[in-house]
Amino acid sequence: MKKQALARTIKTGIQRTDLTEDEVRQAIEKAKQYPFVAYAVDAPYLELARELFEGTGVLLTAPVAYPLGGITLETRLDQIAFAIKVGADEINASLNFNAIKSGDFSTVLDEMKRMVEAAGDSLDVIVIPQLHILTNEEKLRLCYVILEGGCNAIKTNGHGSLCRPEDITLLRREFGNDLSIEASGGIRTTAQAAELLELGANFIHTSTPYSVLEDAE
Amino acid sequence: MKAEELDRSKLAALIDHTELHIDATYGDIRRLCLEAVKYGFAAVAIHPVNIPLAVKLLEGSQVKVDAAIGFPTGAFTIEGKVFETKDAIKKGAEEIDFVMNVGAFKAGNYGVVMDEMRAIKEAAGDLVTKVILETCVLTDEEKVTACQIAKEAGIDFVKTSTGFGEKGATVEDVKLISQTVGEETGVKASAGIRTLQDALAMIDAGATRLGTSAGVAIIEGLRE
Repeated sequence: MKKQALARTIKTGIQRTDLTEDEVRQAIEKAKQYPFVAYAVDAPYLELARELFEGTGVLLTAPVAYPLGGITLETRLDQIAFAIKVGADEINASLNFNAIKSGDFSTVLDEMKRMVEAAGDSLDVIVIPQLHILTNEEKLRLCYVILEGGCNAIKTNGHGSLCRPEDITLLRREFGNDLSIEASGGIRTTAQAAELLELGANFIHTSTPYSVLEDAE
Repeated sequence: MKAEELDRSKLAALIDHTELHIDATYGDIRRLCLEAVKYGFAAVAIHPVNIPLAVKLLEGSQVKVDAAIGFPTGAFTIEGKVFETKDAIKKGAEEIDFVMNVGAFKAGNYGVVMDEMRAIKEAAGDLVTKVILETCVLTDEEKVTACQIAKEAGIDFVKTSTGFGEKGATVEDVKLISQTVGEETGVKASAGIRTLQDALAMIDAGATRLGTSAGVAIIEGLRE
């Protein structure tokens, strides 16, 4: 696969507790050398990123409830309103994992609908199911709830976890093209990215895009 | 307080019984609250989404509901953290543990850090506030500066760690924080405190509150 073509499947970003504005600036200037699909930064840097990506066509991704999903619905909606205000194009929203692991899918569905409604036409909603903490049964049930809630895009895992190829296969087999799948979690090499795309991932989300591009032509 | 003067109830009153796991269930929150009542822990430290359940379970008890705000990165706007704080209080939170804007701090934007601490303190009113420095990403000099800002902003406790960083509380950090903030400001040691021995070492170093999910084992480790 060619570097440019692979870059057009990659969503990336920079999110870290001790990240300074200068580091964000440098990271974005470097990222602009490739036609990445989207770029995610934490709330304090969204306006800066919007400015720096102006005219590039790179989508700006705002985090919601990221990564633990432990915030209230009201705070989720506040974060979505902020994402709209700063001109983000899409959100990566962690779901309410405490509800999911308790089998309380009605709360998850309700929150899903409210988030989709709040995003309206302004933002594409991509939710993070954190597949690594779910059983296969929970994965499928949750994705049905996500679709029922009016969202058709997931980012498989969050920071510090590993995307399993068999999860891409499982979801692609169950949902066909109804679900857009962004493979995420521990993707560091060209070979890993190529395998996940081959299995049906629509996008690769990685915090290390340059190592992912390294072995591409 | 000196560690050798502690009995079970005094030790329990220093502990924020903590459940912040991403995959915790309502059953885990229920167990946490029942244990907190049984042992007399100071508070249950939980994600805001679980506040309503904890409020219901702790009704009529002395155990406080302690909300984790800005978790785990602290990388939010001031307005965002203030909204989250007010929302948590509206739902019944009685103590506020928030993560400092570490990125702004690292960049030397102390004005932003101070404004944020003051804004959260104001939003919390009379409730106890604890600012988490995430000590594992700070130099000793930075820890001292952050403590001074927190003290000036009127924050009630300086807390070491979120539990989601590379490392939790160390005895050295607790000593440094305690020496810097003095007696009027509390010190909460958190993350990595798993045994009675860990707990006592932190208290000897100057901790006045402990954040741990091993509270029951710690108390059970102390003679009755």
